[in-house]
Amino acid sequence: MPSKRQLAVAAGYAVAGAVYIAIGVWFTDFLLSFFVALAYLLLAVWLIPTGVRRLF
Amino acid sequence: MPLLLGSYSPDLMTKWFVYGISIGGWHLKATDPEQFQRGWPGMGFTHSLLYGVLWAFIFWRVLGSKTWAVSFLIGQWAHAITDTGDTVGTMLFFPWTIHIHFGAWAYAGQTGRLTDAAAYFSGPGAVWDLVWIVLGIFSWRVLTRSYFEQNVFTADAFWSKANRVVPMTALLVAYRAAFFYGTCRWIAWSLWAHVVHHYPYDISWGGPHWVHAVHSPPLTWPQLVGVGAIIATGVAVFFASRLEFSRKRWAAIRSRT
Repeated sequence: MPSKRQLAVAAGYAVAGAVYIAIGVWFTDFLLSFFVALAYLLLAVWLIPTGVRRLF
Repeated sequence: MPLLLGSYSPDLMTKWFVYGISIGGWHLKATDPEQFQRGWPGMGFTHSLLYGVLWAFIFWRVLGSKTWAVSFLIGQWAHAITDTGDTVGTMLFFPWTIHIHFGAWAYAGQTGRLTDAAAYFSGPGAVWDLVWIVLGIFSWRVLTRSYFEQNVFTADAFWSKANRVVPMTALLVAYRAAFFYGTCRWIAWSLWAHVVHHYPYDISWGGPHWVHAVHSPPLTWPQLVGVGAIIATGVAVFFASRLEFSRKRWAAIRSRT
């Protein structure tokens, strides 16, 4: 079974995924490219959390 | 990375022109999308086994990486073989230009991006993608940090080179991106097709039948015999090379003892 930390990481990706899906359903061009998804994911689960951690 | 590149490589070369793109007022689109993407003359050779072998040879000889060669080959072959599942199929044994096709789901690339997506995510193709998503979830350990650091990062020099400018955490996110993208686009397109637009599901063989699908002609008996002969030769060469390899290994062990 995954550890609590692994589940927390998975939850972060799930939230990022939910936002990505919501954008994609209304603006389907967002779903067309792997590279767009990669850029979004880097922003959502790495750059933004890192920035927030540095601020607070 | 090379596995991902290999699996995307056939469509990277073709899909943009199948659906069409606009550049500075110019609209570029194939007049016969199916012929362009899967046929010959056309770019159909990108969906052949030989195309993967040629790129693998380049990666092996030019970049000097067997890992890239083999991984790219697996990814590209997986794509080319998977696309035999639709009603057009692929020229798997190019330069032999017959289309190997099982006709499990409808090929509707010629209808445009949105109808094609609606059709794919309404038919057996969507079920096929779901199988891989479920398999990925059951194999969740391959997405963990420890698996990435111990098995992926160490196996491919690309990651250590990238790590000179990009932190490990960002590389881990990039590694997970393919599964993230595959899963999220499956859910998003399914919601778009069935909740927003109410396209009907039809997971019967060859479906969905509400879309105008392109079909390749069925293979004749002589063609089937030819395909069988190619596969039998491939299997025989594989086992013969394994036998030879184990013989050489035994000879090396004997000479040492």
